[in-house]
Amino acid sequence: MDEFNDNEIGRLLRLKKFEQPPPGYFENFLHEFHRRQRDELLRQPLWKIAVERAQDFMLRLNVARLASYPVAAAAVLVCAAVFSLKIYQTPQAPTVAQIQSTAPVQSDWNLASPVSGVMVSQPRPAFNANLLTHRKTAPPRYVLDSMPVSYESTLRF
Amino acid sequence: MVRWLIFLIFASALSAQGQEQSSDSISREVRELFDRCARSVVKIHGRDEHSDLSGSGFFVDPTGTIYTSYSVGGEATNFSVEFGGKKFPARQMIADLRSGIAMLKIDSASPALPIGRSEQLPVAAPVVMIGYPLDLPETPSFGMIAGFDRKYLDRYLTTTHLRANLATQRGEAGAPLLNMKGEVVGIVVSSLENSSSCYALPIEAAEKIRSDFVRFGEVRHGWIGAHLAEALEEKGGSRAEMTEVLENTPAANSGIQPGDILLQVGRKEIHQPDDIIDASFFLSAGDTVPITVLRGDQKLTLKVQASFHPASQHPTMIAAPSMNQALPLGLQKAPEPAP
Repeated sequence: MDEFNDNEIGRLLRLKKFEQPPPGYFENFLHEFHRRQRDELLRQPLWKIAVERAQDFMLRLNVARLASYPVAAAAVLVCAAVFSLKIYQTPQAPTVAQIQSTAPVQSDWNLASPVSGVMVSQPRPAFNANLLTHRKTAPPRYVLDSMPVSYESTLRF
Repeated sequence: MVRWLIFLIFASALSAQGQEQSSDSISREVRELFDRCARSVVKIHGRDEHSDLSGSGFFVDPTGTIYTSYSVGGEATNFSVEFGGKKFPARQMIADLRSGIAMLKIDSASPALPIGRSEQLPVAAPVVMIGYPLDLPETPSFGMIAGFDRKYLDRYLTTTHLRANLATQRGEAGAPLLNMKGEVVGIVVSSLENSSSCYALPIEAAEKIRSDFVRFGEVRHGWIGAHLAEALEEKGGSRAEMTEVLENTPAANSGIQPGDILLQVGRKEIHQPDDIIDASFFLSAGDTVPITVLRGDQKLTLKVQASFHPASQHPTMIAAPSMNQALPLGLQKAPEPAP
């Protein structure tokens, strides 16, 4: 304050009264502000910036809730491992007694002629493994119609 | 005020007790009926061209005669009947498509169900059905008579059927419908839309079929050859007008003419055209029946000898006792329409 006396300060204020920003100053103000903000941030070391951003990210994502994700991921991995073991397990061959394919089989046998008189050996049909897992005979058809079986088309007698 | 409150509490307690007693009473009656009648109900096995089949039936006399539905005993073979913990081979006696029933027989003495009268049942009369649903043991179902129908889905039934509101399951075709005395009043022939009710052929209709078989050795549905429609106005208490008399039929030969108002067939009075459904069903071919008509102002009684119903052109299937199988229907598939 000692360098300026009252008169000089008065002159300076009068000069400042007529001072104006350069053209386009207000239009570029926001852009210039962001640029300087970035410059200011980049003056910090890179690791410090990364730590700050990571902290900010964690706070926004609620880290406590995300803590269960690694557990779930681990469980999925364990299940996948167990299933893959089951799937790739080689099936065991069925232990079914072999039947002589040359056993004699009767043919042309019916109620009208109970004894055909001709015994023909036929090759036994190939063993069907599905028979082991299905019922030997299909269940009967339990009968109840949804409408009476007979109608009259017109009134006649 | 306090007196009224006590009275109300007392009355409601009495009412609740009464309802409980009523349901207990119904349950006891059904249980007793089931215990008495279930031994006469049998499970029937057979085989048709598609697969093995299973249905219900019941003994109608002490010599092993069984009533069942046509869908069970009509077109199958190799019948066997489960009864009293044993399995008996059975043979077919009658398979009548028009009535929708079949008659089987086993060679064994049998506990028969008594025959009742369905005509005496009013609407809402309680009824019990005993059948073999699916592969389950004999099962009672309790319900009530819901109606007496002559028409279903816009088609005339061959005779009046009993419609009973009781739940039915597959396997119960041929089961007896019983009144609360344990008498048979009908034979279950079909279920309705959602199996919550069923149609039963009245036992009188089934007995007519059996009577034909006993009399003639075959079922003889009768027919005189006339068509009916509703007259514009009632005459002599009837609106049943003869609209067509077919040539060379008993009706034409006896002198019945189109325009006659039908008043009576045998002992059956006719008031509406569909009254003829029952009168017709109970006609037997060969029987002479008096038919009363109104022609102008003149009441005429004509004696008409019924001939075979057109539905009997293929003789009703009756198998020889040794055959133990149904005779083929002889139905032919209609030719496929040209594309």
